[in-house]
Amino acid sequence: MGDGQSPFILTKWGDRRMSRKILPYILLIPTFIVIITFIYWPAAYSFKLSMYRVSPFGNRMIFVGLKNFKKLFEDTQYLTAMKTTLIYVSVSVIIVIFLSFTISLLLNMKVPGTPIYKALIFIPYAISPAIAGTLWAFLFNPVVGFVHYNLSHYFGINVDWFTEKPYALILVILTSVWKVMPFDIIFYLAGLQNIPEDVLEAATLDGASSWTKTWKIVFPLLSPITFYLIIMNIISFMFSSFAIIDVVTRGGPGDYTTTLIYRLYLDAFAFQKTGIAAAESVILFIIMAVVTFIYFYFGERRVHYQ
Amino acid sequence: MLFGTFKKLYEEGGSLVKKLLVVLLAVLVVLSFAKVQIQFWHAMGGNRIELIQSMADEFMKLHPDIEVKVQYTGSYRDTLNKLIAAVKAGNPPHIVQIYEIGTQVMIDGGIAIPMQDLIDKDKTFDIGKFMPQVLNYYKVNGKLYSMPFNSSNPILYYNKTLFKKAGLDPNHPPRTFEELLEYAKKLTVKDANGNIVQAGITWPLHAWFFEQFMAVQNAPLVDNNNGRTGRATKAVFNHEAALRFFKLWYELTKSGAMINTNKEDWDAADQYFVSQKVAMLITSTSDVAYLSKMAKEKGFELGTAFLPRPKEAKSGGVIIGGASLWLIGGHPDKETQAAWEFIKFMASPEMQIKWHTNTGYFPVRKDAVEMLLERGYYAENPHHLTALLQLLLSNQTYNTRGAIIGPFPQIRDIIETAIQRMLNDEMTPEEALKWAEKEATKAIKEYNEIYQ
Repeated sequence: MGDGQSPFILTKWGDRRMSRKILPYILLIPTFIVIITFIYWPAAYSFKLSMYRVSPFGNRMIFVGLKNFKKLFEDTQYLTAMKTTLIYVSVSVIIVIFLSFTISLLLNMKVPGTPIYKALIFIPYAISPAIAGTLWAFLFNPVVGFVHYNLSHYFGINVDWFTEKPYALILVILTSVWKVMPFDIIFYLAGLQNIPEDVLEAATLDGASSWTKTWKIVFPLLSPITFYLIIMNIISFMFSSFAIIDVVTRGGPGDYTTTLIYRLYLDAFAFQKTGIAAAESVILFIIMAVVTFIYFYFGERRVHYQ
Repeated sequence: MLFGTFKKLYEEGGSLVKKLLVVLLAVLVVLSFAKVQIQFWHAMGGNRIELIQSMADEFMKLHPDIEVKVQYTGSYRDTLNKLIAAVKAGNPPHIVQIYEIGTQVMIDGGIAIPMQDLIDKDKTFDIGKFMPQVLNYYKVNGKLYSMPFNSSNPILYYNKTLFKKAGLDPNHPPRTFEELLEYAKKLTVKDANGNIVQAGITWPLHAWFFEQFMAVQNAPLVDNNNGRTGRATKAVFNHEAALRFFKLWYELTKSGAMINTNKEDWDAADQYFVSQKVAMLITSTSDVAYLSKMAKEKGFELGTAFLPRPKEAKSGGVIIGGASLWLIGGHPDKETQAAWEFIKFMASPEMQIKWHTNTGYFPVRKDAVEMLLERGYYAENPHHLTALLQLLLSNQTYNTRGAIIGPFPQIRDIIETAIQRMLNDEMTPEEALKWAEKEATKAIKEYNEIYQ
């Protein structure tokens, strides 16, 4: 009784000290089982696989150390994929942040019909990336696409948006931005509604123009949200863009819209190069770790917290 | 002996033992009447899902003791991935449909039972009834590994109505590269702003067509006789024949006479032809039933012809495309036997006829063709005959048998990338071909490293 030696903690009601110490860990066990089974163990296995050459059916494995990584960094197609990813992610993030901010400013004004606009703008977030890709592919289809038809008949832009550079990348960026925008708008709207009126009134009294008020007061006050959104958007564009690219351009023309994640998909599931694909996933992991670290280390200083 | 033991236990046991034995006997009797279950995975989508299911249903009517669980597992690529995952998990299906370029990977995987083993044991099965051209693809080192099921090759489809409109003879489709270029340009119609309203030709942006146009000129893809007399060690397709095809594709595109699709987009090419946005289409014969129906619906006259070939090239032939059925090992004998019965059924004349007439894949056996001829089928459906004749009239060489390469899917992607880069003027046809061959050799060497 209360001597802390019994293993059956839960059945001894009087043994409070021991149960208070161990109970939290026991409650965490289910979560850990799930995390270990679905995240840690596969990740560790991927790290291991990245150092092997593996046959498609897995019946042969040869240890090659870091040769897979060396091969990837010497492969022009992989380096091109890195460059493409850099361009795609940075352009998309810049466009989506500024576009979302502007639209949320507009939505914040008390104009009639705002609830309807909010509902319509939220739709892209509710559909899956594959559906988003399909919709935009239909709009720009050279034979039946509504947007393609109007662009070529009224603006003379008669190009094939899937097989011509730079249009293929532009189309992928447009689709991705459209898909991610509602997420950013929701956060910005919430943030805008929390901005104290007196700060803006003071600025108006000091003779500040709308432009100055927006960019020198409102935007900096929303910088914590911007900080959060940029990293979330980077993650989004790095990974869930896969579905959009596969549906719209299949990585083409050539490998023009092949990002790192699409390259990983091809090497893993189209070409059955398991070891190389595992190495690519390790590289992606390292890239995300480095980006996140640099982001938080340097970026956080520029965030203006209230 | 078992019965004797049973009898002794029954006579000597108490009433509880008697009851247990009766129950055990009943269970054994019921189990022996239980159906053998086999799993069949295929990649035939769209309205072919129902067609395959109906063929499986007919089999189950003939064999009430076998249950076939049919599953559409997505594209060829998805099906192969699902198979790999299932093999690694230890519960693979019995029969899988794998694309033709997966042959080397399947052999190297060591998980399939070669068809040859079952054919040798089954006296009722006559492999001689099958078309040698089709068997030759899936025979490696004299052994038949998989059962041909849906075989195809590409043909030229053309819009006779648009031909007449452009002043071309509808009964004289282009037969050479030069004629193809000329016709395509004549069939290109532009509007007042210079936008192309109707192009001459299209075909899906797929390396399959590159492979076919090499075979048509009797030119190889890889060494060791296209991988047939030994494992392929390098790509050898940077030759005159390939350059002729690359240059044709380039010229057709630059002159505006050709519309190009997304990578491997079969549907887009069909749609361009069906909506009469192009006058000619090169694609698989597997769509002949669909295209014939759509031509009637849209009100134009359909024509089909063999693939055009360059005047100066050596005569070759076409390669089998499509897929075959593989039998996966690791199952109890009874199930493997049941799977073999199902495979034989799907390869029977009646089923091949049903499959052929509803799709356009040609029948893989000679008696099926004979039966259709007797019924007058080809007189009424001449377009179903074109691909078959093109195959039968092909020269049988290593180059027309089809290449066997481990990393074939990757090589196809390399060729498609090279073509798209050439069409976007990033590389000249010569540079694109050279780059593709170099990258393909790299991929082959990488694949072979595992099998040293």
